[in-house]
Amino acid sequence: MDNPQHEFEERRDRALAMGGPARLDRRRASGVLNARERLALLFDAGRFDEVGLFATAERPEDRHRTPADGKVVGFGEIEGRRAGAVSNDMTVLGASSSTVNARKIAYAKDVALKNGLPLVFLGESSGGRIQDNMGARGMGASSWDPQQYVRTRETPWASAVLGPCFGSSAWYTCMADYAVMRKGAVLAVASSKVTSQAIGQFVDAEELGGWEMHAEVTGLVDQFVDTDEEAIAAIREFLSYMPSHAGEAPPRRSGKAPATDPRTLEDIVPLDRAKVYSMYKVIDAIVDAGSFFDLKRRFAPSLITGLARLDGQTVGIMANNPAKKGGAVDYDACDKAISFLVLCDSFHIPVIQLVDQPGFLVGVQGERRGMPAKIMSNIQALQMCTVPKLSVVLRKSYGAAYVNMGGGRNSDDFSVWNRAEVSFMDPGIAVAIAHGVDRGTDPEKFAELRTKVEADNSPYEIAGMFAAQSVITPAMTRDHLVSALAVHTRARTNGLGRRRLADWPYR
Amino acid sequence: MSKTKDIRSSLTGTVWKIDASVGDSVSEDDPVVTLESMKMEIPVGAPLDGVITEILVTENDLVEEGQVIARMSV
Repeated sequence: MDNPQHEFEERRDRALAMGGPARLDRRRASGVLNARERLALLFDAGRFDEVGLFATAERPEDRHRTPADGKVVGFGEIEGRRAGAVSNDMTVLGASSSTVNARKIAYAKDVALKNGLPLVFLGESSGGRIQDNMGARGMGASSWDPQQYVRTRETPWASAVLGPCFGSSAWYTCMADYAVMRKGAVLAVASSKVTSQAIGQFVDAEELGGWEMHAEVTGLVDQFVDTDEEAIAAIREFLSYMPSHAGEAPPRRSGKAPATDPRTLEDIVPLDRAKVYSMYKVIDAIVDAGSFFDLKRRFAPSLITGLARLDGQTVGIMANNPAKKGGAVDYDACDKAISFLVLCDSFHIPVIQLVDQPGFLVGVQGERRGMPAKIMSNIQALQMCTVPKLSVVLRKSYGAAYVNMGGGRNSDDFSVWNRAEVSFMDPGIAVAIAHGVDRGTDPEKFAELRTKVEADNSPYEIAGMFAAQSVITPAMTRDHLVSALAVHTRARTNGLGRRRLADWPYR
Repeated sequence: MSKTKDIRSSLTGTVWKIDASVGDSVSEDDPVVTLESMKMEIPVGAPLDGVITEILVTENDLVEEGQVIARMSV
């Protein structure tokens, strides 16, 4: 071309036009943002430094119709901190994974790693681009990087599931430290079209990988929202708790009083150990107001995991929830605990355990899945976790789960409420097994024996042998935790742990 | 358009009491059935907002984890 300036502008405008006005209009009509609108929302206003704007497909016949080759990559600022992003452009060959756009993703990962930047994936892709991947040469040309799917969690990754996510968008979501999904989007290995061809199973996309399945069954996604805008806001919020990279501690904010007066804790938690209550109310009376960021709420709901701020400091809350399964830790709850510990240990986030649990959930369902090994994996993760761990037993902690929830020297600070009990099993079960007396057959004898057994479970017994550092009243809980955090600072390493869980597998 | 959502027992236990009736409008987490298990009274809550359309258990029934104990339209 004779005029380089004109050529530059024409090529730039063509790339910025993405898959063309018709496709973009269809998206707009359905209320879904396009790849560039999403980036504009993700980053602070005014700046997005794009790389690969002029990248196109490898195959000559596809080059004219693959602006940015379907994946928009670049860097900007999120709340004043630098970060990178990959935004899938569904209007360009379904944002399918190709030889060239795989290089763009690899570049973004490399830059993020070398420079300590969080990385965001805005997922919506149809899977591998068939014409690039078919045949032995196609396969030989792809998967060229033997470290492509290895993470050592050096910088935080966040992913949004914003449409059909097959192939790379599914993989990167599962590799990320945090994932949010717009209801109506789909996350699966392959589309229902592939499923029906391969195994003759005809399922709709929602059943194959819709939000309810990921919320309740797989736990692969942390949060669910109704719009693209909410998903992007959630990612910005997640990153506000995180350090930019693993070489620094999480950012601090000024502290706030909790939403609920800590003096009400005494009434929130019933004395009767058979009664349930919502642990969310307890959390609201401990952490800074409005700071609790709940992760995987519907998955394994007997265990709550989430980020929060305590007097301005990022902490991880891991709490039994008696309102669900009585707070009993089951197989999925162990998985949930492990993935949360991995997040906290990788990014120097102290873990606070709020304990009220009746023991591991026993029964054939868990045993069939290999519950004993899962319990050991949970304990292994807890014992390898090097960030400060603070535990408070509110009402009861029974059995082996006592260890998984921070007992037995598995916390830097282990405290018990003045009405809590700790024991090998529920006193009622112990009386029935050891004395052969149950509530139905001999209620008087049962009550007498139960009272005797309970006397041994006193918080002052465990504090007396210094297996607990403190006995506290419910109202003291927040202040106690703030003070304990001020002691357990890991100051010798500027608040950094050893990140022994940073190499843990994705699931 | 409303769809049917199964309400499944969250764990194995005995039905202690039925908290909701067919036709009740319920919000997410409202108790539908309370089980006795792990020496506790454990509610099985509505998974979403909706209306109860069927109750499939009675008091003292033994239910398994995952068993459909009621249905709702959402």
